Amino acid sequence: MMNDPELEELFGDPADRAVVDLLKASRPAAPPLDPHFRNYLRAKLMTQARQTLPARASRSWFPFTLSPKTLAPAMAAVAAGFLVVLGVEIYLHNGQTEAQQVACVCTGINNKTDVGTGEPIVIPFTGPVDKTAVAESVVMQPATAVTKTWVGQNLVIIPAHPLAANTAYSVSFKPLATPTPTPAQNPVVRPTPAVAPTPVVVHFTTVRPPVPPVVPPSFKSAGVSYGYDSRLADPGTILSATWTPAGQVLVTRPVGQLGPGSSPGPSASATPSGTPASKATTDVWLMSSLGTPIRLLVPGGSFPAAAPSGGLIAAWQAAQGTQVNLGVWDLQGKIQTTVATVDGVPNRAPVWIGEDRIAYVDQGRLHVVDLHGTQVGGLALRVGNGRLAASPASPRLAVDAADGPVILDLRAIGSLTSLPSGAASFAWSSKGDLAFVVQRSASTDIKSANSDLYVATAGQPFQKVAISPDGQTWSDLSWSPDATSLLLATTATNGNGAGPGLVLVNHDGSSPTAFGPSSKEFASPQWSPSGDLVLFTRRDEAIGGRAFWTATATPSTDSAANRALAEVAKFMAARISGDGNAARAELDDAGLAAYQGGSSSLLGPGGVHFSRYYPVTVQPSGSKPNVFLVGVRIFSAKNGVESSFFEEQLTLVAQGQTYLIDAVNASPTLALGHGPTVVSVEVVQTPPGQQVRVHFDSDLTPGTITSDTIQVKDADGKVVDANVTFDPDNHLATLAVKLRPGTYKLVVTTGVTDINGHALAQEYDAPLVISG
Amino acid sequence: MPDGFEERDLVERAKQDPEAFGALYDRYFPQIYRFAYSRVRDQSLAEDVTSEVFFKALRNIKRYTYSGHPFSSWLYQITLNAVADHYRGLHGEVDLEEGSSLPSTAPAVVDEVVRRDRSRRIWAAIDQLPRQQRAAMVLKFSEDRKIEEIAQILGKSSGAVKLLLHRAVERLRRELPPEIEVGLT
Repeated sequence: MMNDPELEELFGDPADRAVVDLLKASRPAAPPLDPHFRNYLRAKLMTQARQTLPARASRSWFPFTLSPKTLAPAMAAVAAGFLVVLGVEIYLHNGQTEAQQVACVCTGINNKTDVGTGEPIVIPFTGPVDKTAVAESVVMQPATAVTKTWVGQNLVIIPAHPLAANTAYSVSFKPLATPTPTPAQNPVVRPTPAVAPTPVVVHFTTVRPPVPPVVPPSFKSAGVSYGYDSRLADPGTILSATWTPAGQVLVTRPVGQLGPGSSPGPSASATPSGTPASKATTDVWLMSSLGTPIRLLVPGGSFPAAAPSGGLIAAWQAAQGTQVNLGVWDLQGKIQTTVATVDGVPNRAPVWIGEDRIAYVDQGRLHVVDLHGTQVGGLALRVGNGRLAASPASPRLAVDAADGPVILDLRAIGSLTSLPSGAASFAWSSKGDLAFVVQRSASTDIKSANSDLYVATAGQPFQKVAISPDGQTWSDLSWSPDATSLLLATTATNGNGAGPGLVLVNHDGSSPTAFGPSSKEFASPQWSPSGDLVLFTRRDEAIGGRAFWTATATPSTDSAANRALAEVAKFMAARISGDGNAARAELDDAGLAAYQGGSSSLLGPGGVHFSRYYPVTVQPSGSKPNVFLVGVRIFSAKNGVESSFFEEQLTLVAQGQTYLIDAVNASPTLALGHGPTVVSVEVVQTPPGQQVRVHFDSDLTPGTITSDTIQVKDADGKVVDANVTFDPDNHLATLAVKLRPGTYKLVVTTGVTDINGHALAQEYDAPLVISG
Repeated sequence: MPDGFEERDLVERAKQDPEAFGALYDRYFPQIYRFAYSRVRDQSLAEDVTSEVFFKALRNIKRYTYSGHPFSSWLYQITLNAVADHYRGLHGEVDLEEGSSLPSTAPAVVDEVVRRDRSRRIWAAIDQLPRQQRAAMVLKFSEDRKIEEIAQILGKSSGAVKLLLHRAVERLRRELPPEIEVGLT
C-alpha cells in the first residue's frame, strides 16, 4: 500500500505500516485560503520585483516569451481574475473651514496593471458616507454598465459583463459624508461634514490575455499540461457547477451564502433580486473562475445550464408547494420566461438544444419545449437516470432512454438512432462528434471491470476507439475545445490499479495520458470554453466531502509565432525603457531605415514616453514563409495616466534562428477616454469560411454593430459580404465571412457607439491576411 | 513536479527577471502557504508567513545557488525560519529540537476531534507532535518530499530525519485514540 521505497525501508513493523498507510491515505484538510490573498501578494511582489530586479530590456538574453508554458500560471491567475479592491483617500470637511481626513483605505490598486476582468470591484470605506449618493456618483470609463450595492462599508461595483482585457479603466466617485442631524436636532452631534470638493478617481489596467494564436493550439493528449489548481470553495458550499460560454461559472449553492465583497470584509448575506420560495434550499449564482461570487441569478434555483451562445441560462426554481418552475434568466438575474412547471424535485439540469429549445425530464419522461413553453418533438420518451446531452452542431440529443440509449434527432419527428446497450457519459464536441462509454459487465469479478470508449465522428457511425485498462473504468467525458481529445475520469476497481484521477485520450483513442497529480480522487471534468481551465471535483479525505476545483491547462502552440512574438516583446521592452540601442538591435537594415525615415517613432515623438504595449494581432504573411505581421498597440502616459495610443504593424522576417523587424506602418495617435476603441482583432478559421472577431473596450449599443459599421474590404476596397453578430458579454463583434487567400482590411466606422452614446473617436482599420 | 533543468533555468532567470520570479511564485505559492498553515494553524498568520517567505526569497534570490535540491527546499527553509521568528517574537527563544510531548490528556484530543473523521483526527494528532517531528511528518506525508530533501530543509542528516519520522509514527501509534487504532486494523 505504501508505494514509497523510503517508507517501505523505514517501517518494517506491520503496526507502524498501518499508521503509515493511514497517513498516506489521509491528507490534511486544505487550509482555508482567501482566494484574493494569492493575487494580492503576487501583485505586491511583482511591484517590488520590478523595482529591485534589473530591467529586462537591458539584457541581451531577454527571456520573456509568450509560450503557454511560461504564461500559463500567470494567465491562469489573470483569467481567473481577482477581487479588485480600490484604495482611496477620502477627505471630508468638518464644519466650514477645516478639512479633516476621516477615512483612508490604502490597500488599493490605483495605477495597478494586470487586474482581472471577471471580478466585482470593491471600494472599502472606513468613514461615514452617504451610501446612496456615493453609489449614484460612480462613473466608469470606458463606458461600462454596472450595478452597485453596499455590503457593510464596502461599495461593490459589479460590471454587467466581464471587463475588457488590455484596457485602462477609471472609476470616479464622490465620497459624500453621511447626512447627520443638525446640532438643533441633536446638540451632541458635531457639525455635519460637507461634500468633498472633487471626485476621487482611480485608474487601473486590466490583464493582457494570450495573443490569439496564428495556429490554433492543439489539445492532443500528449501536448496538454496540467498547471496549478485552486479550490473554488469549501466542500458542501457548491453543489453543482458548469461553465458559461464567457468563461464564468454557474453554480448551485446552499441558501444564505455570502455575496460579492463580503470576504474578507464585513460578512453579509446575499440580497436576492426576487423572492425565493419558502422551502428553497439552494440558489443559483454566477461566479468567477476563481470562486468569487458575482451575483445571485436565481433565488431558490438549482441545476443551471447556460445557453450555447451565452447571455441566458435555464434553471429550476422552487415555486408554490411542491411545484418547481423551469425558467430562463439573463445573466443579470432577470427572469425572461417560464417554460414549464413540474411537480417534485428535479434531479438533473435542463439541456439547451441550440438557442431556442430546452430538454428536461419530468416524471421519468423526456420533454422538449421552445422558449414559449410549447412542447416540440412530439416525444415523451421514457428515460433512465443517465445523462442528457445535446449537440452544439445540430439539434440532436443523446438520451439514456429506458429502452436503451438513443440519439434523438429533432429535425425529423420520431427519428431515433440506437446506441450500444449501456452507453453513458454522453459528450458532444464543438464539431458535433459524439463520445460515450460502455461499462463492460463484470459479472464474475468486479475487479476486472473496465470501459469501452466510443466516438461517432460527425455524420459517421460510432466506433469503439479505446478500452480502459483492466481494473479501471472511465466516465465523465468532456471534449477539448478543438475536439481533438477527451478528458475523462478514471476509477480503479481492483484496489491495486492506478489511483482515481483524470485521463486525456485523443479522439481516435490513442495516447491516453494521465492529467494532473495522481492519488487525488477527481471526477466530473469540464473544459472551459477557451480550454485554459478545467473544472472538476476532488474529494477531500480529511473533510469528507467533494469540492469543486479548477486547474490550468496548457495546450501546445506554434513555436515560430511565439519566437516572433518574443522578439517583439524584446523590442517593445527596450522602447518602453528608452534603450535605443537594444531596440535597434531588433531591426534589420530595412527596419532601421523605416524608423529613421519617419515611418514611426522608435522611442516616442517629442519627449513622449511609451508606457505600455500589447500585441493586437499576429498573422503569418500570406505569401512568404517565416514572415509574420504583428500588430502592436502602444500607449503613452502623462502623470502616470495613459492619455493616448497608436498602433504599429510590424513585419518580422526570420533570419537564422531569430526574427528581425523588417518594416513598420504606424496609425495616427488617438486620445483615450473619448468613446469606445477596438482592443483586439482575431481571424479564426471556421470552414468553409472564417470569423473575424473584433473586441471592444466598452459596453456598446448593440444596434450600432451592423454590416454598415464593421466591414471587411478586399484589396480593391470592395466590401465583402459578412454576417455580423454581437456578443455583449465579451464586447465582441463577429463577422462571418468567406475569404480567399489574400490581403483584406477590417474597417470599424465611427457609427459604433457605446452605451452612453459616444462614438468611436476615429475610424479604425487593420490589415487582415488570409493564408492559403 | 517541475523538470529540474527547467526549474534551474527559471530560477536563474528570476534573479534578473520579475516575470520569471512571478512564475516561481505561481508555482510554489500553494505548497508554501499550505506548509506555513500546517505550522501556525492560523489563516492570517499563514498569510503573514507566506508573504515574508516570498519577500525574503525576492531579496535573496541573487544569492541562491543550486545545490542539487529543488528550489522549493530553499523556500521551505525560509518558511521554517519565518515561523520560528514568529514564535520567538511571541514566546522568546523556542527549542526547535524536541518540544513538548503529546498531551497526556489524550481524552482532550479525543473530545476535540470526536465529531470529525478519522483522517482529521490523525492530522490533529500530528499537530501535537514536537515541532521537528511535525515538520518532518508534514513534509513527508503532506508535501511528498524525499527524506534527503527534508534533511536539507531541516538542516539535519538523512538518518536524523528517519529517526524523527520513526519516532513520530511510533508516538502516533502509541497515543492515538482507540477508535483510530480500530480503524487501522
